[in-house]
Amino acid sequence: MNVRTHSLSRLGLGGRNVRPALAGFVIAALALICSAPAPAQAGSCCGGGGGAALVLPKSGEWMLDVSFNMEVYDGYWNREGKILPDAPGSDLKQFRLNLGYAKRIADRWQVSAVVPMVRNENYYENSRTTSFDTGDTTISLLYETFDVVTCVWSVESLEDLVPAAYLGLVFTIPTGISPFDDAERSFDVTGRGFYRLDASASVEKTIWPWTLAFSYSYGIHMERPVNREYGHWVEPYNKRLGDRRSFSLSGGYTYFMETDDTITFTISYSDLWEGTAMIGGEPDPATGLRKRAVSGVLAFSNMDKSFMAKLGYSQAVKQEGWGENFPITDIVTAGVTYVF
Amino acid sequence: MYSKIAAPLMALTLLAGCGMMDDMAPSGADNRGSSAALAVGDMAPEFTMPDIWGQTHTLSGQLANKRGVVLYFAMWCPICDSHMQSIMRGPLKNHPDVDFLIVDYVSGTVEGGKQAAMAGGYAQSPFIILVDERQKVMKSFGATMGTTVVIGKDLVIRMIEDYKSQTQLEEALAGL
Repeated sequence: MNVRTHSLSRLGLGGRNVRPALAGFVIAALALICSAPAPAQAGSCCGGGGGAALVLPKSGEWMLDVSFNMEVYDGYWNREGKILPDAPGSDLKQFRLNLGYAKRIADRWQVSAVVPMVRNENYYENSRTTSFDTGDTTISLLYETFDVVTCVWSVESLEDLVPAAYLGLVFTIPTGISPFDDAERSFDVTGRGFYRLDASASVEKTIWPWTLAFSYSYGIHMERPVNREYGHWVEPYNKRLGDRRSFSLSGGYTYFMETDDTITFTISYSDLWEGTAMIGGEPDPATGLRKRAVSGVLAFSNMDKSFMAKLGYSQAVKQEGWGENFPITDIVTAGVTYVF
Repeated sequence: MYSKIAAPLMALTLLAGCGMMDDMAPSGADNRGSSAALAVGDMAPEFTMPDIWGQTHTLSGQLANKRGVVLYFAMWCPICDSHMQSIMRGPLKNHPDVDFLIVDYVSGTVEGGKQAAMAGGYAQSPFIILVDERQKVMKSFGATMGTTVVIGKDLVIRMIEDYKSQTQLEEALAGL
């Protein structure tokens, strides 16, 4: 056992005890990254305002999380993956304040909810519009496949290589303002207007101080009737957005401070697809998207891992062919979490 | 225990959903005609707008030698690009007797509209690109991104809604 472990043990956080809290901390950071790209939830002209799923540390009973995103638009990919600029003189931003709550309901089960508040700022050569409203709410159910956290300091047996795995369901509730709600302009949109159910799986392994994680999710939108578009009543029709899938690969390094506080830096690559929407059984030519992004998150956690502060940056890879039919955006994230 | 869990979750959801029941409980009721917004069958308001080359266009002028006019309201975003590509590949080719006008409602000047059209690759396209400098036309039609309006020679609106497909636009154009 090295000096650092002794130090943690002295504080009652050593060995097996330290692992749940630290693993939860790392997972929370990873969850933040995984949520950061979320492009189909973020665009002001395509819908916006999705929140991040929360992950409660193994040792936590409940958790409050507040995070702030600033998303800046910088052109877009067309359907062929070609990069085109936004209108000359435009300055497009979206700000999101995400309020989250998570609660452990059993040893391996936890639930959470995130409500985003969204402010759109769309400045063009001849117009300046702002709007503020609720975004789409997410409610998550997460199952941990392990009872004892699998983070290790060194690999001494095959058992030490067993990763932690999480299985989750995320239900998106259309509490935002969509084109089919009481919106008159595309600039007012803060949500997509559709219920969605995502199933997710993530695998994570920490051999201190390094962490590697992989996650995959698949989501299905529910079909809904539409009878209004931006304030115009229209002939009713049914619409269903395309299925959505995403994966991310993350790597992190944790630095243990003398005070036993920790700083973790995580980088991530993510890839997101969404299929073509159907309107009355016919494909909607404006839908379907892809976005690839790289992200970095710097996270501080105090000694007993009850408090975390996070600062992140996600950048869409601004290369031809690295996205389709979607805005190119950079996202800055700052947040704090308190675990009880 | 579960009431303790459910209460905060429900409170968050209710807080979020307050006043947004249109999306949470969507309706398929046909409410057309129940609002003051322009609708199919209404007379289209006259307009005057410059194109990106500085030439002035009016609705009545466009209809003088054509069977109809299609207005598409664009803000140079990926959805607009997808719509315009779809229109260009189908309805625009199939209806040489109809003018297809792109209304740029976010560029405040002819020069700005020209730059946006050039950057988007549409300056030399078969569309006529008009600049709604003060968004007067956008407001008079109650339009926003993707709003597509089909107007007959008699100035009657045959379609006014989001662009959805070539089929939808072709059906409206068939009625001209």
